[in-house]
Amino acid sequence: MSEKRNQVSRRQFLNYTLTGVGGFMAAGMLAPMVRFAIDPVLQPQGKGEFTAVAQVDEITSEPQRVDWTIDQVDAWYESEVTKSAWVYKQEDGSIVALSPVCKHLGCVVAWAGNDDYPDQFFCPCHDGRYYKDGENVPGTPPNAALDRFQQRIEDGTLYLGKAIPREEA
Amino acid sequence: MMQKIYDWIDERVDITPLWRDIADHEVPEHVNPAHHFSAFVYCFGGLTFFVTVIQVLSGMFLTMYYVPDIENAWRSVYYLQTEVAHGQIVRGMHHWGASVVIVMLFLHTLRVFFQGAYKKPRELNWMVGVLIFFVMLGLGLTGYLLPWDNKAYFATLVTLEIAEGVPFIGEATKTLLAGDPEIVGAQTLTRFFAIHVFFLPAALFGLMAAHFIMIRKQGISGPL
Amino acid sequence: MKKGKGMQFVGDSRITADKKKFIPKDYSEYPGKTEAFWPNFLLKEWLVGAVFLVGFLCLTIAHPAPLEGPADPTDAAYLPLPDWYFLFLYQLLKYQFAGGDFFVLGAIVIPGLAFGGLFLAPFLDKGSNRRPVKRPITTSLMILGVISVFWLTYEAAAHVDWEAKAAANKPIPPGSIQVDTESDGYAVYEANSCIQCHGGNLEGASGPSLIGIDYSVDEIKDIAVNGIGDMPAGQFDGTEEELQQLAEFIVAENEDH
Repeated sequence: MSEKRNQVSRRQFLNYTLTGVGGFMAAGMLAPMVRFAIDPVLQPQGKGEFTAVAQVDEITSEPQRVDWTIDQVDAWYESEVTKSAWVYKQEDGSIVALSPVCKHLGCVVAWAGNDDYPDQFFCPCHDGRYYKDGENVPGTPPNAALDRFQQRIEDGTLYLGKAIPREEA
Repeated sequence: MMQKIYDWIDERVDITPLWRDIADHEVPEHVNPAHHFSAFVYCFGGLTFFVTVIQVLSGMFLTMYYVPDIENAWRSVYYLQTEVAHGQIVRGMHHWGASVVIVMLFLHTLRVFFQGAYKKPRELNWMVGVLIFFVMLGLGLTGYLLPWDNKAYFATLVTLEIAEGVPFIGEATKTLLAGDPEIVGAQTLTRFFAIHVFFLPAALFGLMAAHFIMIRKQGISGPL
Repeated sequence: MKKGKGMQFVGDSRITADKKKFIPKDYSEYPGKTEAFWPNFLLKEWLVGAVFLVGFLCLTIAHPAPLEGPADPTDAAYLPLPDWYFLFLYQLLKYQFAGGDFFVLGAIVIPGLAFGGLFLAPFLDKGSNRRPVKRPITTSLMILGVISVFWLTYEAAAHVDWEAKAAANKPIPPGSIQVDTESDGYAVYEANSCIQCHGGNLEGASGPSLIGIDYSVDEIKDIAVNGIGDMPAGQFDGTEEELQQLAEFIVAENEDH
């Protein structure tokens, strides 16, 4: 009786040791590989560099499209990428820079892009619309306001950084 | 919990016989190093398989960064080795594993050969094993080109010249491998990549399956 | 009723009527103790595997996988070498009886016979005796084969200066080296024909790259005057002051990168 129980526990012990050794081998093998694979996830977010895009005195109260290029380093591939924004001056003189990327499915919106809505941003893909301040028009496909660019003004020049989503819906 | 899942599956697809076949058999004394230390020679086959597993895994992970294109291949390898965390280790595992697997295969082959374990009824398994050896050498040859550095490029140039020297079919073989009768370049790299990553591993898996099934069917050869 | 090659089946099934299974010998026929594969034997096997893995990981950490400069088809000075496990074939083709006019012999017939023989070993060595000493021809052929592979590999490897080859082929991303071409040292570098072998950006051409070397100013001065390896002596032809400028320039560029 006791001998039998002893045998069972020996087999269990071997099974546990086997699992342990197997786990060690799997971990030793996979740990570097998994760390290697998830490296992009663990990279710190880029600071978001600012680029000069326009002179402040050229900006009117009517939204204008401005384009600029940035040097994008994508691992081993470096390229120039064109970015654009809709900028206008508010009544108090502050500047609003909106991302042209529609919050619905990522098409590009245009100011007064549809003759029926001359005072709104219009997305041609699914007729999404936004008010001048970037808020989405209720009842149209988008469910959030257009992203705003981080901005900085130095010596009369507007610098834009990254586009960040607005917190409120 | 595990037992319940096992029972649920077992009730439907009857996996117990499969499990029996894989795990539930007796290992004779003469291959057990705990009884005779000289039995360590029986480890080489298992270690070959282990290194093969390392090769497959590290290779899968390397393709997350590697690009088979003459413009970017070297840059991507340089990037993954110098910039990505543990990239040096993962590439090192694949690089050194390629050498270690050849060494282990060689030792395993010698063990089987000198023990005469290829004799009846194991002739077929020996031939499958030799084919695995050839496939491994093919993997080494094609993998050597992929980083697209100087040693890769010039070694492949020589290999293709040797292939070209084969009578009658040489020219065609070279063009088939290089993708172009004159240039060793963009098409050569993509072809070697496809062979290295899809064709040869597929062959390897098939051969390994045959190898293992035959071992289970025929058992380990008896002591000398 | 016989079907196919005389096969008989049970009813309309696929099961053959005369079932004669090949059953391997039971290990109880061999004297000694058997052991369960799972978990007893597998545990020992995995322990060996774990020790092996630790050693293997140490190897990968201690010796990073080598990477040379990007493929440059115009690099005429490059000595092509295959991976080490093909060195014996590479060496074989160097010999007169196996290369040149006898290329087909060396590249196809000899390896073909060797590997074909290996592949067909069970049919060439048909006797039932398994002990190596009881089948002397097979055994001696294999030993001969192994020795010649080892010897050819050694011969091929011994003729290569691996360290110099590695030093001359450092992985340097194209366009990443920009040396200070305005400095006095660079003018000396240009004037003394160093530039012809070591390249306009010290990246190396027929001579090795001068980036990534580990020499002091005095050592570089000595090499410039007296040569090293394949570099002949007397390459430098200028004043002592210029020599100092040159060496300091090269050391400074190495510190920058």
